[in-house]
Amino acid sequence: MKLRSAATFLLFTCMVAHAALAQTASSPAPVNLKVYIGGQQRPDIMRGLFAQYMAANPGVKISVEVGGATSELNQKYLNMVLTARDATLDIFLIDIIRPAQFAAARWAEPLNDYYGKDAEAELSRYLPAYREANTVNGKMMALPALADSLFLYYRKDLLAKYGEQPPATWPELSRIARKIQQGENNPNLQGLSFQGKAVEGAVCTFLLPYWSLGGEIIRDGKTSFERGKAEAGLNMWRTMINDGVAKKNSAEVGTDDTRKEFQAGKVVFGVIWGYAWNHFQAGADTQVKGKVGVVKLPAMPGGKAVSCMGGWNWAVSAFSKNKPEAVSLIRWLSSPAVSKQLALKGSFHPVFAEVYRDPEVVAAVPWFADALPVVETARPRPVTPVYKAISDALRINTNTVMAGVKTPQQALDEIEQRVARALR
Amino acid sequence: MSQRSLKDRILDPGETALAWVLLTPAILFILVIVAYPVSRLVFNSFFDVRLALGVPVSFVGFDNYATALSDSMFWRAVKNTLIITFVTVPGALVAGLGLAMLANMPFRYRSPIRLALLLPWALPLAFVGLIFAWFFHSEYGIVNDIVRRLGGEPRIWFNSPALTMMAICIATIWKTSSFMALILLAGLQTIPSSLYEAAEVDGASKWTQFREITLPLLVPSMLVALIFRTLTAIQSFDIPFSMPGPGEETQTLAMYIQLNTVDYLDLGYGSALAVFMFMLSMATTFVYLRYVRGDKD
Repeated sequence: MKLRSAATFLLFTCMVAHAALAQTASSPAPVNLKVYIGGQQRPDIMRGLFAQYMAANPGVKISVEVGGATSELNQKYLNMVLTARDATLDIFLIDIIRPAQFAAARWAEPLNDYYGKDAEAELSRYLPAYREANTVNGKMMALPALADSLFLYYRKDLLAKYGEQPPATWPELSRIARKIQQGENNPNLQGLSFQGKAVEGAVCTFLLPYWSLGGEIIRDGKTSFERGKAEAGLNMWRTMINDGVAKKNSAEVGTDDTRKEFQAGKVVFGVIWGYAWNHFQAGADTQVKGKVGVVKLPAMPGGKAVSCMGGWNWAVSAFSKNKPEAVSLIRWLSSPAVSKQLALKGSFHPVFAEVYRDPEVVAAVPWFADALPVVETARPRPVTPVYKAISDALRINTNTVMAGVKTPQQALDEIEQRVARALR
Repeated sequence: MSQRSLKDRILDPGETALAWVLLTPAILFILVIVAYPVSRLVFNSFFDVRLALGVPVSFVGFDNYATALSDSMFWRAVKNTLIITFVTVPGALVAGLGLAMLANMPFRYRSPIRLALLLPWALPLAFVGLIFAWFFHSEYGIVNDIVRRLGGEPRIWFNSPALTMMAICIATIWKTSSFMALILLAGLQTIPSSLYEAAEVDGASKWTQFREITLPLLVPSMLVALIFRTLTAIQSFDIPFSMPGPGEETQTLAMYIQLNTVDYLDLGYGSALAVFMFMLSMATTFVYLRYVRGDKD
């Protein structure tokens, strides 16, 4: 009896051990990758991409953490996770303005070495501006995922009704907007919607007219602040508010507010990023489907037309425990095939020139054919590890001027003081 | 003193030794969670620690303090913090006293009132900030809706630093008066009813009873409530943070510290600012305690 139970036990142990061995041999323990993305970068579409990747790579399990809706909120969170050197997140989608800080703080894994001898061939396929924006001291710190620029969206139907062409300068926009506002006799119709709230978009609000006149914030690593041009820019926006072209509470308008109000048919001209197009055409409650045109932004009188460069990039955490797998995933995520999917599903600007000309993409987002030159020439915001402090100085003061609390002169005093302190 | 073996001394310690043994956990606890962080804070404040740049840490003496004293944003933050403190502490005391008196009245619906008292206290601060930010929103807010119905001109509340401060103070008083009321209610219940009965017999009016009995006997509870309330007012963060005015015009000291440490990762400067806040809190507590002691003499 005793012998028999011992034999049974031995047999059982062997079976379990065999099964366990077979298990490990056929499929190794899956690698878990955690990806952090912002709420405005269409988590629904991103989840679909991850599902495709997991289906093709059974050894990888991807989970998603969705963060705040704005770039600042995302950064606040990542600041905390990464200063703690926390290894929970393997991959994060970062704003185009961040790679310099991630490199200086050593939060992101430099990617060149993972490519081996293919590095140059693969990296040179990206749009040059986006490759440069992600390169810090010769190292690729993140891979371009979504390109973007600010564009001028306008109501094709209303401009046609009043026999107007899209404006080339801001005063011209003001004239057309007022003509339409008076003609429509609708007090709720805004001539122009732009970002006056103290969000990241307000940095571009400050920079657009300033750049248009040839101004720079940092030139060769030193501050080069030109007060006259900055003042002309702030005054231009203030005049839009005072003249009733933009609404009185423009200081409360954030990025997605412009998108929502334009989508509700309450705006003639909107300054907004590429993602809005898909909402206008396919959003559930859109009032402007088929009535929207997109052109490059107007210039200041005597200045040139410029746009603010946007976009998001995939970075691998320097603290990740699965770096090779994470790099493989982001190489796929920033491939032309995925770039095309993102263009089709979310009207996100591709990061490869050839995708802009892809027949399917052109059919879905017709104006992408003309968008490439704008995206290629859009200007990057100041590249510095202390970007956050520079950004705050610009957007906070732009906001106070839009609210009418400070004069442009007072705001410029504070900008100068804060930029000097940040770059000390 | 007789010589005792080590074994005896462990098994039968003297009173002093026993006291030390029993106090050790508490002392360790205080060292770890109070003394270490505070001394580390003071230590950091003498260094240039900027994590965003990845530059080496260097000793800078009192530079961070000197920078703060000449920093207009620091003084604006101090001013805003003091305004919130001087408005909301008395405001919450008066509102809380009223609520406590109401909840202490002997009538049938007392328990629902006491329950309602707890609601603002139980809500998270950031929640209250968000709720009131919606109330005061220029287009969708209930405040402008009421103004419009009454025939007034709606305002853009958050375009004006003064109006934003007012909204922040209203939200803070609403949120904190229930904490005041809870402590004061406990105080009210310790006042023997015989005192009021005697006053009644002597023909004292309700107002005289309140002035001569309720208020003096409530002073100890009020002081406790005031110390806590003042300290939390000096540390105001959540409500002003979720009800931002134009730019950073309504930034408080705690918000400015958070901006420098969490957003700019400038730990040296942030620490120096936090030391200022620590001194402000200590000074306040000292004044209150002085008052409590002075009362007893």
